[in-house]
Amino acid sequence: MSCARLFKKMSNLNELTIAEASKKLASGEVTSVALTQECLDAIAQRNGELNAYLEVFDDALAQAKIADERRAKGESHPLLGIPLAIKDNILIEGKRASAASKILENYVATYDATAIAKLKEAGAVFLGRTNMDEFAMGGSNENSAFGPARNPHDVSRVPGGSSGGSASATAGHLALGALGTDTGGSVREPAAFCGVVGLKPTYGAVSRSGIIAMGSSLDQVGPFGKTVEDAELLFNAIKGRDALDSTSIDASDPVSNEKVIGVPRALFQKGIDPDVLERFEAALKNLEGKGYQIIDVELPSAPLALAAYYVIMPAEASSNLARFDGVRYGLALKGRDLIDDYATTRGQGFGPEVRRRIMLGTYVLSAGYYDAYYGKALGVRDLLRRELDAALGKAAVIATPTVPFPAWKIGEKSDPLSVYLADIFTVTANLTGNPALSVPMGTVEREGASLPVGIQFTAPHGAEQTLFVVGKDAQESR
Amino acid sequence: MISKDEVLNLSALARLKLSDEEVVALQKVISSILDYVGQVSAAPIESHTDAKPEPRNVMREDTPHDEGSPLTGKEESLRAAFPTREGDYNVVRKIIQKDE
Repeated sequence: MSCARLFKKMSNLNELTIAEASKKLASGEVTSVALTQECLDAIAQRNGELNAYLEVFDDALAQAKIADERRAKGESHPLLGIPLAIKDNILIEGKRASAASKILENYVATYDATAIAKLKEAGAVFLGRTNMDEFAMGGSNENSAFGPARNPHDVSRVPGGSSGGSASATAGHLALGALGTDTGGSVREPAAFCGVVGLKPTYGAVSRSGIIAMGSSLDQVGPFGKTVEDAELLFNAIKGRDALDSTSIDASDPVSNEKVIGVPRALFQKGIDPDVLERFEAALKNLEGKGYQIIDVELPSAPLALAAYYVIMPAEASSNLARFDGVRYGLALKGRDLIDDYATTRGQGFGPEVRRRIMLGTYVLSAGYYDAYYGKALGVRDLLRRELDAALGKAAVIATPTVPFPAWKIGEKSDPLSVYLADIFTVTANLTGNPALSVPMGTVEREGASLPVGIQFTAPHGAEQTLFVVGKDAQESR
Repeated sequence: MISKDEVLNLSALARLKLSDEEVVALQKVISSILDYVGQVSAAPIESHTDAKPEPRNVMREDTPHDEGSPLTGKEESLRAAFPTREGDYNVVRKIIQKDE
């Protein structure tokens, strides 16, 4: 191998997958310090443009050094020494966690989220905290109080959201992988837009302790990887029952041997870009070639999922965000009296989309409207759960496009409702608690740019391992 | 469209001080979102306010919080987050005030 080739190879450590880097770390071919340094170099080069990180931690190299020392002492773990990006709503003790909001701009986390504690135990390195829609409310990262993150495939476009920074960092090779959170598609949608893999685990599979809450019955921490295998490695490290989250569970179903994929084609009648549907059909064809049987399934109530979601989520969010009052931490502004202190702090500390959702949540929970909105939405949620269970009785997984269209231009969608429509295929899994995985399915052309799109697989509760098997079959060989 | 008074009432309930322009803008945008999510009200199903998952015991053992709490030993960092601090105290406004 010539020197030039060797140099080229060695200078792209940040472009490795987690699995590749893990092997090189184990064999001693590379160190975590070298891996981390290359990610930091890539960040220095590209973060100004991508705005994927809100903060790069000054101790990243020190963490890497510790990981190398742990390995030298004989420790091993697939994530030992792997540099990762962490969404800004996941607490890391001693680091700021702002949820990309002015109201928490200077908040320093007092403890580790359970997912973080598990990653620390594994020996992962945290490069920094990533940009997001404020309090995870949005599908484009345009609602960040600190400016939008950008899509590495076309920087004039959104990376998706709310975990846009984590997706952008993974796709742009500013980290080997990342954690995000997914309340209505916030891992899967940006994963699809940025051409990476994103998993929304089964509700309860990953502890929510130390996550800045949005919709508590919907929120899950989820991993981003360049490959399905990487997402799997991250998921295996963070999952598990946790005494600090009473909704967490140990759930692991055996892999389904049935190679049957259910497709709810009735949902594709309108609202999907034709070339996205073409990619989807091509992805299914590819799976057929790998021995899968494609069958039609019915989800008659799915068209109501988005409406139910935009009742339940704001209701829960408005309750969760009541805690931000400027009394114990965060922004604290003075008004005429105590109640005016609250209103002033919250009015100025929260951005427009967060204020909108708090208002909407307050409305749907108020006396007189509760039954018409919240009660009905819970009814739809129940119905969806039953219909999805029935469909998954016939198929091992359900497939849809992750999002009906590719990433849009920053500033292009000004009407909140038009942004909400991006969640049409992703919210169901949050409402029903099922795990769902987005895997890249090629690109579509928009104004000269090749934009990634994703295929989403949904499996029964606890059946992440089935998703990984199907996902690996679906992903193009790297 | 929902009225200005309704928006003002909601903002008072939600403890959000809004500008006059935002109140007007919210009248429109909340109404359009409500029109969309109103599909659920029209759905031919029962209002389901008592949907309950399988009951299971989620209570922790009735023992001191020494091991269970992520905040054990973190008192100082909690105090450091106080907006206004005096010694170890969080300074807050008087809650009961005399009407002028």
